[in-house]
Amino acid sequence: MTAAELMEQGIRAYTRCELGEAERCWRDVLALEPTNARALSYLELLVGKLAPQGAPGKDGGSAASIGLVTTAGAAPVPLPPPAAVPAAAPAPSRGRGAEPVPLPAPEEGAWMRPPIAIPPAPEPSSIDGRELRERTTLSDYAPSPWDQGPAMSPAVVLDDGDGLDLASVAEQSDLRALVPEEGDGAPQTPRRKPRSEVEIWMEGARELFALGDFSGSLEMIEKILKIESSHVEAREYLRQNEATLIAMYESKIGPPRAIPRLAIKPEEVMWLNLDHRAGFLLAQIDGTVSYDDLFALSGLPHLDTARILAALLQEGVIRS
Amino acid sequence: MSDLELEPVIGIDLGTTNSVVATVLDGVPRVIQNRSGQLLTPSIVAVAKNGRRLVGQIAKRQAVTNPDNTVFAAKRLIGRRWGSREVEDARKILPYDLVAGPEGNDVRIRMGDRVWPVPEISGLILSELKTDAEAFFGRQVTRAVVTVPAYFNDGQRQATKDAGRIAGLDVTRIINEPTSAALAYGFGKSVEKKVVVFDLGGGTFDVSILDIGKSVYDVVGVGGDTYLGGEDFDRRVMDWLTFSFAKEKGGVDLRRDKMALQRLKDASEKAKCDLSGAAVAGIHLPFLIGGGEGRPALHLEKQIQREKLEELTKDLVDRCIQVVDRTLRDVGVRPSQIDDVILVGGMTRMPSVQKAVRDFFGREPSRGVHPEEVVALGAAIQAHALTHRQGSTEVLLLDVTPQNLGILVVGGYFQTIIPRNTTVPTSQMHVFTTSQDNQTSVRIAVLQGASDKAIENELLGEFVLAGIRPTLRGEVGIEVNFDISADGIVSVSARDMVTGQCQSITVTATSGLTEDELKRIMDENVDELLARKQIVSDFERRREATERIIGEIEALMPVVTAALARSRFGKDAVNKAQAMVQRAQAAIRAQDGDQLVTLGEQLDRTLQLFKGLSGGAPEERGP
Repeated sequence: MTAAELMEQGIRAYTRCELGEAERCWRDVLALEPTNARALSYLELLVGKLAPQGAPGKDGGSAASIGLVTTAGAAPVPLPPPAAVPAAAPAPSRGRGAEPVPLPAPEEGAWMRPPIAIPPAPEPSSIDGRELRERTTLSDYAPSPWDQGPAMSPAVVLDDGDGLDLASVAEQSDLRALVPEEGDGAPQTPRRKPRSEVEIWMEGARELFALGDFSGSLEMIEKILKIESSHVEAREYLRQNEATLIAMYESKIGPPRAIPRLAIKPEEVMWLNLDHRAGFLLAQIDGTVSYDDLFALSGLPHLDTARILAALLQEGVIRS
Repeated sequence: MSDLELEPVIGIDLGTTNSVVATVLDGVPRVIQNRSGQLLTPSIVAVAKNGRRLVGQIAKRQAVTNPDNTVFAAKRLIGRRWGSREVEDARKILPYDLVAGPEGNDVRIRMGDRVWPVPEISGLILSELKTDAEAFFGRQVTRAVVTVPAYFNDGQRQATKDAGRIAGLDVTRIINEPTSAALAYGFGKSVEKKVVVFDLGGGTFDVSILDIGKSVYDVVGVGGDTYLGGEDFDRRVMDWLTFSFAKEKGGVDLRRDKMALQRLKDASEKAKCDLSGAAVAGIHLPFLIGGGEGRPALHLEKQIQREKLEELTKDLVDRCIQVVDRTLRDVGVRPSQIDDVILVGGMTRMPSVQKAVRDFFGREPSRGVHPEEVVALGAAIQAHALTHRQGSTEVLLLDVTPQNLGILVVGGYFQTIIPRNTTVPTSQMHVFTTSQDNQTSVRIAVLQGASDKAIENELLGEFVLAGIRPTLRGEVGIEVNFDISADGIVSVSARDMVTGQCQSITVTATSGLTEDELKRIMDENVDELLARKQIVSDFERRREATERIIGEIEALMPVVTAALARSRFGKDAVNKAQAMVQRAQAAIRAQDGDQLVTLGEQLDRTLQLFKGLSGGAPEERGP
């Protein structure tokens, strides 16, 4: 597996709250590329997050103490800004009105922010929704345009109120309850009215969008639209996520009139790991068609075409 | 004065499957490559899923994945009447929607979010070819000769002219494809022969018999099959590959996946072409179709032998020969009376087709002309002859009536007055009589077509001759006269032989588009053409400026490199300048005008710096 794929896998694991798996992936990235700035900065953050749970770094909590090259001064790989950063607005309405639903803005500067001091790992009892929202998270640093398999579930699902929806967290992630469960003799939290899947997914989509994980947010939205195709807020998020992701991929691709060419020998194509859609697009690249042409002739949604072309460029299969 | 200095004129072979544009340059006919560097431009127009209008090769590449919005073979429909047999046949096989025009007479095509008149679709193809020609000449092209099949009726010819107008071309003449091919065949030599033009194109097969005299080209007979062509051959290869694949991969059916089918179609056509020059062709289609249930995508790796292709397509080749045989019989010519066979169309490169022709005629077909270019070259020769008469050999093209011309008679039948293949100009007279007692008027409906039933033929026009003396049926003689001028204009008159009462009509061919509609389409296109031209000219201006600066920088490079050799930053500065030049060259190749704007300022600064370091431009410095 390449470093980029491992990076990817790590991010996906992270968005599923599989922190151990994320750490393993990023450590594997460092084994391949010891100076990979993104991996280093993510691990720094992750180590901070894991520390209180007895992970390495417990006694010092710094990346250096667990044998990582320090990333002081190394900026993570910058990412392009979203296509249209939605204006900061109050929390979106859940109504189904005809008016376009305003979306929350991804945190300002999330794309290029350099690593900052690792926040102290919160005590389990101090984790609550509000604090999590305010805390700098990995996704602030690392919204990846290379999400081929977006998050399977939201990182942390927040209720309408401030507390964690523990049932949902337990169901959808590897995270375990951070407050005593019923029957452990702990004081019981008040029961909340169970929420529908759509509401949970919508909440997750908003959260992921705000964190800059547009692929993850898009996946949530697609799930919602499968159930409720006319969900107004979901449709607005769909549009914004798609526009942002397209802008990100297109910034990687470069000028639309540029003509891509195969960067490997034709006989080597067979050894790649592609799906048939990428195979189709690759077959059209013959040194005469431009990226613009490829978008027109692919017959695929614009986002899918952009994603595949960006990935082919990233993997060095094609060049402009 | 060289041809480049004269107003450029072009000849266009507007084909069913592919189109070609040619010109005559300094007395030599030559094909103009399109902007992708290819000689053939697929006659395909599409509106892509992202709304972009596509013409030519790019439209062809998405034809299978976007069948509803990709129009091919518009030539089968141009100038046809809604409800005609040809249109009904086409509706059965075409994947895109056909609808009746507003008057219910002509055919329209639904593509994208609107309905298009067929001449507008053909106009887009002609416009593409015009743009290619303009890129070749570096200036505007406004005049063209366009070819059409010999069997096209007047309405179809007029519709082709309208397509030219929509594209901004003045179609100075429409000529028959076989005539055009023969013109290129006879170019520059004195030929007096009876030849057969064997035209196996992508979608249609046409056979024509011509008498070529001294600069006179006389089409004496035409025949063909409008549903036989290269695409049928491709389909056989596709089917073979599909079934082989299914057999080898546990029943995976490639036909269920449009992307796979598109690649398969392209690969089949390529393999077929390759087999004209090689005994074996390889077909490599990696990641052709998803493996299903998370399994990796499947590859198609296959070889096809020429013998296999010949076996798969034998019946198609046989059909061609049957058509040739029938056409020769129609005009009473034996194969042995044919002096030469001109092969036209890419399919005639196929060895088994050539062998079949050789076996039938007992002689080698002509190899003096390029089968895919010959029709366009002939049109270019004719265009050149019409425009630059001085010093060029006069060529007299004797065209024939493509179909029978006649009138409606009692019982709904069609009475032929001028049979097809009659050389024009011509005039024919026929006497008719009344069908009822005391009949005082007769209706003269002028028709064109091959059917005995009037309803199955094309109505060109009609009029009523009144004031006939009332008497018993059959006692009044009515003389009907048909006259076709050298320009193809049909005049019909009817005269009561007793009273001398006379009525007449001049048939004006119509494409189905009204003049107002045509003007509206042309106005719409003008705006788009102007915008496109502006983009092209802006880019050209930037390209020229950038190339000039690059040239100056490169000229100064050795001097600057030497001057900076000892400085600490010198190498770095030169490297940066070289990288910038490379980026600018890449932007020119990619036709990226925006990037040229960005780089222009930097290049300019670099040039000024270089000039400063070198003490001026090379030519400005002393020896």
